[in-house]
Amino acid sequence: MSGALQVRDLSLRFSGQQHALFEIPTLEVRPGSSLGIRGPSGAGKTTLFHCLAGIAQPSAGQIRWGDTDICNKDAQALDRWRHRQVGLIFQDFHLIDGLSVLDNVLLPAHFDAWRPAAQLRQRARELLAEVGITAFDRMAAVLSRGERQRVAFARALLFQPAIVMADEPTASLDPDHRSRVGDLLLALARAQGATLIVISHEHELLSRMDRNMTLQDGRLI
Amino acid sequence: MIPLFNPFPIVCADLRRNRLLVLVTLLLVALSVAAGIAVISQERALRQGSARAADDFDLLVGAPGSPTQLVLTAVYLRPQATPLLDGDILEKASSTRGVKYAAPIAFGDNWQGYPIIGTIADFANRGGKLMPTEGRVFRQRGEAVIGAAVKLPLGATLSPQHGLHHDDDDDDGDHPDHAHAAMHYTVVGRLPPRHNIWDNAILVPVEDVWAVHGLPDGHGINDAQRIGPPWNAARLPGVPAIVIKPDSIAAAYGLRGQFRNPRSIALFPAEVLNDLYLTLGNVRDLMSVLALTTQVLVVAAVLMALLVGFLARRRQFAVLRAMGASRRYVFCVVWIEVALLIVGGAVLGLLLGFGASMLLSHWLQAQTGFAMPVSLGASEGFLVGGLVLAGGLIGMLPAWLAFRRSIAEGLTVG
Repeated sequence: MSGALQVRDLSLRFSGQQHALFEIPTLEVRPGSSLGIRGPSGAGKTTLFHCLAGIAQPSAGQIRWGDTDICNKDAQALDRWRHRQVGLIFQDFHLIDGLSVLDNVLLPAHFDAWRPAAQLRQRARELLAEVGITAFDRMAAVLSRGERQRVAFARALLFQPAIVMADEPTASLDPDHRSRVGDLLLALARAQGATLIVISHEHELLSRMDRNMTLQDGRLI
Repeated sequence: MIPLFNPFPIVCADLRRNRLLVLVTLLLVALSVAAGIAVISQERALRQGSARAADDFDLLVGAPGSPTQLVLTAVYLRPQATPLLDGDILEKASSTRGVKYAAPIAFGDNWQGYPIIGTIADFANRGGKLMPTEGRVFRQRGEAVIGAAVKLPLGATLSPQHGLHHDDDDDDGDHPDHAHAAMHYTVVGRLPPRHNIWDNAILVPVEDVWAVHGLPDGHGINDAQRIGPPWNAARLPGVPAIVIKPDSIAAAYGLRGQFRNPRSIALFPAEVLNDLYLTLGNVRDLMSVLALTTQVLVVAAVLMALLVGFLARRRQFAVLRAMGASRRYVFCVVWIEVALLIVGGAVLGLLLGFGASMLLSHWLQAQTGFAMPVSLGASEGFLVGGLVLAGGLIGMLPAWLAFRRSIAEGLTVG
């Protein structure tokens, strides 16, 4: 089950600093479940997020997603793993303004193919329709913030990843959109059977997660 | 096996998003390349064009003075107060062993701006090698054979006007104006194009030019209608230049030595042109250095702009990496963007420079009748190739920075 997370004795210490930013003796997340992580600013939530996604290397410990120990993989293998197994969602969406909505969703498909396969193009259209975007040829630059985040959801789910990780997915949205976009994220992840890990300050969003934890003073409780 | 990927969606999107920057960069690179191309190709065109114009002039003999002035006068029809050779030298040249023909070149008149040149039939048809495209060369006094660019039909008649150019109105008072009005030439032939100033010339028997100016005609009193050699030395007026066609290379060198004396100078136009080319070459070298300096500055400016652009896009590259793009993918995106700008600018500059050079040559030909054949050579290839290579290498710097940068660091850029 590649969506099962097992963390052992994880710690991250920046060079020259006495105390670790965080120390997490153990953390387990069942595949297909959702985990919300909150905490005060500067607690290290985003750094933990990067470690769990294989973007940053911890100082010590083990992070296993299913059978994959991501702390012992080389950069190339981690790229491939993230590409196929992880759907990442950012606070600022990070769409490419010069591309259409459909091309933004299909962008990851160009990382290992010259042209996305027909079924992948079809899936991209279906995902966009699922998040309520039907004007596939509109340029990303003209979308509203809510629309941009919904396109980012579709992009993250293109390869049916086992893991979906979102860093403050609703923080850039106005209050009207937050609730709807949060619902959509949860619904999409559940429909895909993906494990969902969300970093957020939003109480309403976190309240709908299967489990919530707080990162404070270097401890995840 | 290296997996195939496609960086072009990102490259195209980035170039589209930064249209203005792309346009300015392309233009900067293109203009710097065009300047270099134009300088190099024009210098070569001038060299080839001037050498071609001198092909018909094996050995030039003139009065003692400036060799450059003699070449400009006889080859390029740009006379300026040219001193005259004594007439007997023409007679001597004509009768010297090893000379196929010795042709006087006499100026002074024009018709509607076309210079009228007095010479002999052998020079008009270059010793029989230059067959008229229409009609024939002159055989008697009062006949004219015209250059390919002279707008006159066969059978037309014309009267000379004093001065080598249409607007010359100098009147030195030593020739009777009515003699010009009374003189009529009939066009009997048209020469093929030579792609030089001689295409605009009207060639007539030199005796007519002398007669119009009240000078003896080089023949005896009883030979009033005769044209060409043999000459009567006692009745030969001075001439600005003599073109000698030697019958061999050895003869050419012998004749050059023979006519290099206190009364005359003799030279191969190529000698003078070589000196001019040396000077031109120096100017070309200087211009090339300036063009190269401009290119280096432009490339440096482009590099700075690209680095600034790269710094502004660190986060985008980090996001691509976070989504699973390989380092190679991001390297290719950045490198292709830079390389496209440099290569695109270089190709555009090549076309612009070649076009500008063509236009300039066309304009010069229209102004002077002097053909300057524009071509692209190895020098231009090296210039563009060097820039493309430099662009390829320069593009690697931001690409390498993108390749090496950690994803987490890029994602936390504000």
